[in-house]
Amino acid sequence: MNSETTEKKGVWRVVQREVARMLSQPVYVFCMVVAPLIGFLFFTTLMGKGLPMDIPVGVVDEDNTSITRQVLRNLDAFQQTAIVKQYANFGEAREAMQQGKIYAFYYIPEGTTELALSSKQPTVSFYTNAAYLIPASLEYRDMKTMAELASGAIARETLYAKGYADSQVMGILQPIKMEMHAISNPGLNYSQYLSNILLPAMLMLLIFQVTIYSIHSEVKEGTSKHWLELADNNIYKALAGKLLPQLLVWMVMGATYLVLLYAYWDFPLKSGLWPMALASLLLIVVSQAFGVFLCEALPSLRWALSIATLWGVLSFPISGFSFPQIAFPAPLKALSYLFPLRHYYLIYVDQALNGLPLHYSWVNYAALLVFLALPLLFPNRLKKCLLEYQYTR
Amino acid sequence: MKWLHNILEVFREELHNSIFDEGVIVFFFVVPLLYPLLYAYLYGNETVREVPTVVVDLANSTTSREFLRKVDATADVEIVGHCADMQEAKDLIHRRKAHCLIYIPAEFDYALMEGRQAVVELYSDMGSMLYYKAVLASCTEVSLAMNQDIKTQRLVGATEKQASTFAYPIKYEYVPMFNTQSGFATFLIPAVLVMVIQQTMVLGIGMMAGEETEKKRRGILEPHVIGKKPIEMLFGKSAAYLAIYSVISAYVFCLVPHWFHLIQIGKWTDLVAFLFPYLLACLFFSMTLSSIAYNREVFIIMFVFVSVPLLFISGISWPTCSMPEFWKVVSWLFPSTFGINGYVKINSMGAVLRDVKPELIGLWVQTIVYGITAWLVYYRSYGKHLKDIIEVAEERLQARWADYL
Repeated sequence: MNSETTEKKGVWRVVQREVARMLSQPVYVFCMVVAPLIGFLFFTTLMGKGLPMDIPVGVVDEDNTSITRQVLRNLDAFQQTAIVKQYANFGEAREAMQQGKIYAFYYIPEGTTELALSSKQPTVSFYTNAAYLIPASLEYRDMKTMAELASGAIARETLYAKGYADSQVMGILQPIKMEMHAISNPGLNYSQYLSNILLPAMLMLLIFQVTIYSIHSEVKEGTSKHWLELADNNIYKALAGKLLPQLLVWMVMGATYLVLLYAYWDFPLKSGLWPMALASLLLIVVSQAFGVFLCEALPSLRWALSIATLWGVLSFPISGFSFPQIAFPAPLKALSYLFPLRHYYLIYVDQALNGLPLHYSWVNYAALLVFLALPLLFPNRLKKCLLEYQYTR
Repeated sequence: MKWLHNILEVFREELHNSIFDEGVIVFFFVVPLLYPLLYAYLYGNETVREVPTVVVDLANSTTSREFLRKVDATADVEIVGHCADMQEAKDLIHRRKAHCLIYIPAEFDYALMEGRQAVVELYSDMGSMLYYKAVLASCTEVSLAMNQDIKTQRLVGATEKQASTFAYPIKYEYVPMFNTQSGFATFLIPAVLVMVIQQTMVLGIGMMAGEETEKKRRGILEPHVIGKKPIEMLFGKSAAYLAIYSVISAYVFCLVPHWFHLIQIGKWTDLVAFLFPYLLACLFFSMTLSSIAYNREVFIIMFVFVSVPLLFISGISWPTCSMPEFWKVVSWLFPSTFGINGYVKINSMGAVLRDVKPELIGLWVQTIVYGITAWLVYYRSYGKHLKDIIEVAEERLQARWADYL
């Protein structure tokens, strides 16, 4: 009975001590509050409404007839492209592209109109700068739509004149038509596509690092023995007392990104808020657990931090949210499952985008729980390190 | 020539410190050597091929089967299953067996026979934009080719050429320049290479500065610091880091792209002329920042997370022209913004030095501004401040001596 009361007191005292530590070193306030907030605001404001508007595009109109000018006016009407300049020849336009003034240009060779009028099907070329992939692929879409519309318009008139019925006209112009449905992101919103993973990923990286720093810096500063003593020399109590106040701050940050993504930007959340809230909470505690695990495995501040950083930074590409995992080389495909963010991403696709019941993602929840159990592997190594280890640079 | 001697001494000692400090080795050598390899390997396939796709073919006719066969034959799509209905197909997507779905309605054939427009519906899991792109591009390509044949049949008496000209009086041709297969590696790796240089420099120099701060707190001074002017410290250290990073840059910007067959069409003289101010700007930027490193490790947790936002703010992914003004201005604070854009222009787009004038000016302005701030930082820590530290150290020594006595 008596020991139980001291135990409770033990954890509580470690909590108090930890809060004091967090407030006394500016690095904690920076990495736990300022940095995540800057990151969240950065990504959610950078991409604005989710699609770039008025990407500057150039034109080389060597033909320069009323018809080519009409075609160009049509192009300018698209929201995503803005024709900013006419260039005299191909070389000038290419140079402007190399200088980054335009992301693409149309090239209308001399004689285009004449060939078109005499039904000889001239070619108008559209050059994009694919070194900048996103604007290039968006412009490609605009160009495709424009080409369909412009060509269709002329042909449609002719067919009506020939007495074809409405239903027949499209059947002649485009007998088989593709109708694309982008499940849960019909507008191809890039901000939705990227922010949903970038925000939690950044938080995860910071949690890895702060957890390790807060544990191993005790060894470095020579305060680790005192910390353990306050926790009755029990490593579990010591860790609980240290990580609980941090967890609270991380949860507030997690809630912040959830609000930003799903309330402010109103990104799809097909299965409702709770599954994603659960996934975020899991990601947060798993990140802490992963940090503790690294502290146990690597009894040196520098090594634990370096490996955590490697894992955290690599999480971004290897989770497969931008470049899909099925295109990785086989070893990296397998490796990707050792990254908690990969599982978070798969849960996000299942639940926020596809609105599936929880059991579809059970493998990923199970995987996250395995990560959560990692610190149970060798807690005594950490204890020994806290008691005996000497800081080396 | 006392100053030259001083600078050389600082240069030698700093070089020694960087090469024999395990923590600094990680940032100056291990990360720049390994990260580019890792990224190049990861994105090595450039784009996604053979996206697993399921099919619901309710028409099940010669034409629909021909369409599907041709789609399956494209590089980007692989048909992994035929389903009886949408429910079954969607379930396969939900169980991650497939990412896209091609739905051919029962009336597909009737429409074709009656001369109406037949619609094929495509669905894509939006977990990745590349699935969407793959299935749409492949199916559109196949349908265009098939449309050609059908049109010829429908326009009575027309030849194939006439039919094509009729529907498309003007042909449009799409040419992706500088990255012909619209690949990920070609687009992202150059930016990552430039970013690695800046970030490792910030972390490595920050760690070394943190080390010095820690030592000062304990009253320890590196012997080579004593008797040097701040400007001599600045030049000596800069020379040491520059020497290291010249070697690292040669590896990162020449060998890595060469090994992984990445695009490299710039003139090497232009590259050198551009990367030199980039290294200088990064160097002085790092030195300026290092003034807030109060211990060895603090920079790691403060500056690693910045890498991803910095990649985005450079405009390599999200175009600069669509960024809010505020972030555009913020982006000018970082050498990586100019570095990435200039390097991509020269290396990937074959631009010459005068094409990257804005970036070059940006880097030189940063070099000058951060050079001055770096000098101020060093003036504070190695100038008058240093004397205070020496005094404190002496006082402590005397106190200890007194205790001892």
